[in-house]
Amino acid sequence: MMQAGDRGLLWAGWSVLIGSAAIVVAVPLLMLMRTSWVEGRGRLAEVLTEPGFGTAVAHSFELSAAATGLAVPIGIAIALVLRDPRLPGRALWRVAVLLPLLVPDFVLGYSWLRAYARAGLTSELFGFAWTGVQGPVGVAVIVAVSAVPLVYLIITVGLATRAEPITERAAHASGATALTVLRTITLPLLAPAIATAAVVIFVLTLGTFAVPQVIGTPAGFSTITTRIYADLTYGSDPQTFVDATTLAVLLVILTLVVVAPADVLLGIRLQLSRTSATDLDWPSGGRIGRALKPLGLAIYLIATSGLPLVALVSAAMTRAVGVPSTPANWTWDNFLAVLTPRTGEALGRSLLLSFAAASILLILGLITAGLGRTPAGRGVSVLITLTLVLPGSTVAIGMLLGYGRWLADTVAIILLAYLAKLWALAHRPISASVDRLPLAGLRAARASGANLATGLGTVALPLIRPALITAWALCFLTALHEVTMSSLLYGPGSETLAVVVLNSADLGRVGVTAALSVLVTAIVLLPAAALWALTRRARA
Amino acid sequence: MSRGRRGFTALAVGLLLLTTGCSQPATSRSESITLYTCVNDTTVQPVISAFKAANAGAEVQLFRAPTGQLNARVASDVRSGGLRADVIWACDPLTMQDFVTQGLVGGWTPQTDIPETMRTPDYVGIALLYMVAITRKGQPAPANWQQLANAGKVAVPDPKVAASALGALAYFGTDFYADLKSKGAVQVSTPDDVTTGVAQGVYDAGMTIANSAYAAAKSGSPVTVSWPKPGAVAIFGPVAVSKATENRQLAQDFASYVTSQEGQTVIGSSGSYPTLPNVPGPTKPENAPTVQPDWKTLASEKAALLKDYATIFGG
Repeated sequence: MMQAGDRGLLWAGWSVLIGSAAIVVAVPLLMLMRTSWVEGRGRLAEVLTEPGFGTAVAHSFELSAAATGLAVPIGIAIALVLRDPRLPGRALWRVAVLLPLLVPDFVLGYSWLRAYARAGLTSELFGFAWTGVQGPVGVAVIVAVSAVPLVYLIITVGLATRAEPITERAAHASGATALTVLRTITLPLLAPAIATAAVVIFVLTLGTFAVPQVIGTPAGFSTITTRIYADLTYGSDPQTFVDATTLAVLLVILTLVVVAPADVLLGIRLQLSRTSATDLDWPSGGRIGRALKPLGLAIYLIATSGLPLVALVSAAMTRAVGVPSTPANWTWDNFLAVLTPRTGEALGRSLLLSFAAASILLILGLITAGLGRTPAGRGVSVLITLTLVLPGSTVAIGMLLGYGRWLADTVAIILLAYLAKLWALAHRPISASVDRLPLAGLRAARASGANLATGLGTVALPLIRPALITAWALCFLTALHEVTMSSLLYGPGSETLAVVVLNSADLGRVGVTAALSVLVTAIVLLPAAALWALTRRARA
Repeated sequence: MSRGRRGFTALAVGLLLLTTGCSQPATSRSESITLYTCVNDTTVQPVISAFKAANAGAEVQLFRAPTGQLNARVASDVRSGGLRADVIWACDPLTMQDFVTQGLVGGWTPQTDIPETMRTPDYVGIALLYMVAITRKGQPAPANWQQLANAGKVAVPDPKVAASALGALAYFGTDFYADLKSKGAVQVSTPDDVTTGVAQGVYDAGMTIANSAYAAAKSGSPVTVSWPKPGAVAIFGPVAVSKATENRQLAQDFASYVTSQEGQTVIGSSGSYPTLPNVPGPTKPENAPTVQPDWKTLASEKAALLKDYATIFGG
């Protein structure tokens, strides 16, 4: 029975959800659309027929399809391998898989070039270079590899929610092979989580910019986002600025076409109300399988995270690009260039901003997931995906157009931009775990006299704590090294860490930018380790 | 109040304080000017410090970003209450000319001995970029630009991204790039990307700006910098005062300072090439040849030129 307090809580939830969606997402999107319509509708035909436009749209979709097609199976495979509690060093692997999340986008491309391109690390060490890294294949591989941790997280939450080890064991006992069990039981049960991961990766890749720009441009590979960047670069000409906003609006429409049907479909499929059994007794393969799995995982992680990270650290430690990274050439200069009193101040601000953004996003993500089963809730979840797909620069422009008059140069406008860009990233992992909620337990609490808030706080929240911690950490890490939006929105007294480094050196001085990412990695490793310990406690 | 609710209230209050507390600009606009620039901190910070030392009580608020972000910021300002800069220091004359055409800046320039080729009634060039050749050690340095095509795997910066690259395109013409492309050259994004690629050995040679090439050589990267004939392409970065500034006197004082002997000396000693003759600047070989594109023609033919170029290196 609905109590007066419950109605109040629901009302507050809807108010926060709709108010925030309006302020954070709808206003900037509408401002972009307004600019595009009022100033650019006369040029729409020209934008659509400009040489290379069709190719760029095709490239964007091909890249999204390829990255999704690569990242989702790899992420599922890793999640399944790491599901086995008897896997040697499982705790360590679980952390290692998340390493790509720590590397900022703007150095990701460089780290791969330094690792694999002509005259790169593999060339120095083994005489082997991967020439294809600079081109469409390289872009797809790098984007996919950086998306794998996200797929892994979503599938892991899915496994915790949906897997049925008892049925799997029964199938094993009846003589089914591991592959048959996977094909006929595990994967079908995981289907909604897989679909969620696929949508998130597809959308994220549509909006990705830094890797296509650094790795794709030399091979003549342009996407919608690289064209938006090129238009903004010549944005001193009002026509090209408006063209950039038109391209951004087109990207939003294309995303809507892809995401809205998928979300409606997923929304229905996610409405299950049972809890799964614990996976502690999950049957794993034979001895050979158990030995091969860590080997495969190690090879994958060394190739995709190890070598690029070593390349990054060596760039940060070496006095110049192109000299061998031997002790004679090691220097702390790049770190000293990053560690100045100004960067110290900016670091404090960045930590505070990221903490604030991640904490607000946690609340917003929770409310969106909680109310996401209604048609209006699903509408909001589609809406917040639209700012995830926009390149950071256009989100920032939307914010300036909407709020620049009052909030220009303040920390508040940067915070709003972070909320807009990362809301979907916070919401999706939480949303994928809400049907773990035991409605029976919740009903029992209510029947015993607990109001909705107490029921949610004592029964629901503890169960989805791993998903909450995951969402918070994802947002905190992403916000900490964000540079595109901050560099457009900052003002005196609101510089973030990445902005200060960008301004002192541009991003062209790779030694300094590599030092920045090593520093950011070090800064987040400590809280990440603490969070990981918390997650373990929460799961125990 | 429950523990959860207390925590939530504390978080909400904290966030409110964070956003409102940090929302006040450090000083009021009447006491200070806001400078928008694409010049990096190495140059602009010493210039601001020197200007403040010479003008007691003056404050300069800085917004610094690469050209693309800077343009986006100006375009967003215009659509949300008006340009918030009092002075703009751009990295190329085409960007500044666009701001003049929109009626945002110009109408006044300080008295100066900076050559007329770098002055208009609306803005004055205060710093120069030179597009030079960079080769990996062991490769022959090109004596003239035509030889660059035969220098191995060559990289050029994107004229749609870097104004310096557009200046070079305007000077050389599309045939030069077609020749480079036919011999295997690739286009990367920025001049810094060319420098990094050549230093790392991904490319054998390329076209980049002198500051970037000399910085790499100075730090020990195995590269050689050359000024091929007929000359390095010079691109000037101009300064202009906003038409809507509320602190016109201080804005004009700043523009006067950076065009003066004293201001130019600071620019020259902080990593940028000054435009005032005989003021010392960063490394430049004696009698190094330089050339300039025809900026006036380029301003009107930019779109057509980029369209032709797109047929060579793609769009």
